[in-house]
Amino acid sequence: MTANATHLILHQRLLHLSFFKPSLIKHFPHKTLNPNPFKSLINPKNFSVAQSLNENASGSRTGALVPPPILEKLEKIDVNPPKGTRDFPPEEMRLRSWIFHNFREVSRLFGFEEVDYPVLESEALFIRKAGEEIRDQLYSFEDRGNRRVALRPELTPSLARVVIQKGKSVSLPLKWFAIGQCWRYERMTRGRRREHYQWNMDIIGVPGVMAEAELISSIVTFFKRLGITSSDVGFKVSSRKVLQEVLQCYSIPEHLFGKVCVIIDKMEKIPLEEIKTELGSAGVSEKAIVDLLQVMSVKSLSELEEKLGSAGDAIVELKQLFSLADKFGYSEWIQFDASVVRGLAYYTGVVFEGFDREGKLRAICGGGRYDKLLSTFGGDDIPACGFGFGDAVIVELLKEKGLMPELNLQVENIVCPLDQELQGAAATIATILREKGQSVDLVLENKPLKWVFKRAARINASRLILVGNSEWQKGMVKVKVLATGEQYEIELNQLE
Amino acid sequence: MQFWARVVFANATHLILHQRLLHLSFLKPSLIKHFSHKTLNPNPFKSLINPKNFSVAQSLNKKASGSRIGALVPPLILEKLEKIDVNSPKGTRDFPPEEMCLRSWIFHNFREVSRLFGFEEVDYPVLESEALFIRKAGEEIRDQCYHNPGVRSVTPASLNLHKCEMIVGFYIVLKIGEIAVLLCGPNLLLWLEWLYKRGIGAAVVSYQWNTDIIGVPGVTAEAELISSIVTFFKRLGITLSDVGFKVSSRKVLQEVLQCYSIPVHLFGKVCVIIDKMEKIPLEEIKTELGSAGVSDKAIVDLLQVMSVKSLSELEGLQHLNLCK
Repeated sequence: MTANATHLILHQRLLHLSFFKPSLIKHFPHKTLNPNPFKSLINPKNFSVAQSLNENASGSRTGALVPPPILEKLEKIDVNPPKGTRDFPPEEMRLRSWIFHNFREVSRLFGFEEVDYPVLESEALFIRKAGEEIRDQLYSFEDRGNRRVALRPELTPSLARVVIQKGKSVSLPLKWFAIGQCWRYERMTRGRRREHYQWNMDIIGVPGVMAEAELISSIVTFFKRLGITSSDVGFKVSSRKVLQEVLQCYSIPEHLFGKVCVIIDKMEKIPLEEIKTELGSAGVSEKAIVDLLQVMSVKSLSELEEKLGSAGDAIVELKQLFSLADKFGYSEWIQFDASVVRGLAYYTGVVFEGFDREGKLRAICGGGRYDKLLSTFGGDDIPACGFGFGDAVIVELLKEKGLMPELNLQVENIVCPLDQELQGAAATIATILREKGQSVDLVLENKPLKWVFKRAARINASRLILVGNSEWQKGMVKVKVLATGEQYEIELNQLE
Repeated sequence: MQFWARVVFANATHLILHQRLLHLSFLKPSLIKHFSHKTLNPNPFKSLINPKNFSVAQSLNKKASGSRIGALVPPLILEKLEKIDVNSPKGTRDFPPEEMCLRSWIFHNFREVSRLFGFEEVDYPVLESEALFIRKAGEEIRDQCYHNPGVRSVTPASLNLHKCEMIVGFYIVLKIGEIAVLLCGPNLLLWLEWLYKRGIGAAVVSYQWNTDIIGVPGVTAEAELISSIVTFFKRLGITLSDVGFKVSSRKVLQEVLQCYSIPVHLFGKVCVIIDKMEKIPLEEIKTELGSAGVSDKAIVDLLQVMSVKSLSELEGLQHLNLCK
């Protein structure tokens, strides 16, 4: 070992941790020399995992019966999840499950079908040369086969891909929803998350704004389920066709449209001068820029109508949408806002975003119509609209409004043997109860009653079932109802 | 359109002539060209779109997209048109409604059984630091790590693998999330597992239901775990005449190896080799064991012990004093 390890820490041993008692597990940092490996006590916070440094050694095969000299440098493993990602221990998982349950329930109420796609997709699916932030932050890499792949930043392109794949076999309209994890990669060292879960609802095959009205209705339903009201949040609604009508006056080529929208979306994020410069570079004349900015500052539909005239699609659709909103019952939730453009290149019509009225939070959700997406992937265009709703901002909102749910672990029964030899009996009882559909926390070791009661309290158990020698001989068990303190003995076959 | 052609031409002498940037979302399909790398296509409008061979622009000239000239000239982006595949990446699956229904049903049953056993659900990032999975024991799992070979740092990192293997392998929990969770009791982990088949070039994705009990030293924990899987099978209508569990213990091998003073740190490696018993020829197993430093005599004993068919037979062997 010494011969090969002069540049490494001496006396390092690879310990396969599963088979060693904790006291034998060494811990030492990179640079210390530790002649007696058994001196260090394990520190749970700084455990080590072997990692091979000497690749050659593990591969070489000598004839002699000498164990390959695997020199492993014990390195601290970061106990934190990778930068920008989250762990979901039970409490956080319960919250997440609760949110997802609400996503699913609302989707069910609206008759949507759940779907899912791989989180890893070909990078090509997300390459849209429109300067979108989503593209700049694409979490892409090359796999072992040298293929360019990416962790999806959004779900819509996958949806489009599957719809094209299904071709003629699919019967329209499609109403699909998905809850999927989406990723972004930011190189800056901001404390921002790199992943989030996103609830998507999409309607494929319906050309009219009834579809957008339905989508917004579903989000309103979701908010209401959580106790959020129209005084807490609202939707800003506009249409890309507004900008389109302006740009068409100036003969701006269609293919620049997405790019222009993406620039304009940055309106509140970068200085106006920069917006103007970028628009200029994108080929938009100064006069056109003036008109665009003017139209974007319009505060009401009627003002817009004055500017654009009442015949254009933009006005007609928006008016229709507001009328439908009234019929759906959520008028007080939506408002026209000409500055809403959204940052995705592929929206072609109505766009909307959910916002918090106190102005403290980022957009809660966002969506719109994207009638021309499928052709960019080589399919035939089908009218489509949808929205994405992330799992991060909504939690912040719930916290702000004091609407966070109380979610505790609840197990119905805790079964405990009073004697070591009754372990088997306890297992039998547990199985019987579980077969009846009751949840059981089975005490797996010899534990004092005090411990058992504490545990029962932690898991909010309804009943404590004790198996003692004398009862068991009579074929009975002791049941204690924890809420009332009531206690009784009962025959095993009578236990429900 | 003409304007574009001029701009493109001047900068494209070393590239395919007449390539044009087409921002596909906003052009009617008929205008979208498709041509392979090597053809020269002086009239871009001649090609008809073939739905199977559609193209997506992908920038070749990164510099061009960044340059800003004062004049109102669109940025020079020379794009190579490439096909998009409507299939999900190799080895992965889409879940349109019918498949999703089935998956949801399976997951529902996973969760119901976990609930019946008082387990708590948890989840972890699908992307983890590669170091988390590096165990130099030659395991198939590690070789199948789906990762970016050029990068050793945390990001972009390996996609997550067999979580249960990790938990079995380490007494001390590896992650803050686990410490809080595992010491409190049993867990249910729902995992996304990525495997990258060595040499075949296909990625395989599966979901994995993981159930772990941390903190209980005795076999009642293992008994409980197997009970949960039996419960799951029964829920689905699967009976003991359909399936069963094969059970053994690594301590059996350990006891044999200890007789031969095989160092403890080789134990994992030896087990991994032996596990390949049904997958590679016996001769190869023997060779690998030899290279791992296991003597011929030890190999003989190991193989003998591995062929034992009952617990009583195993008990019997102990008395034979294999090591001598």
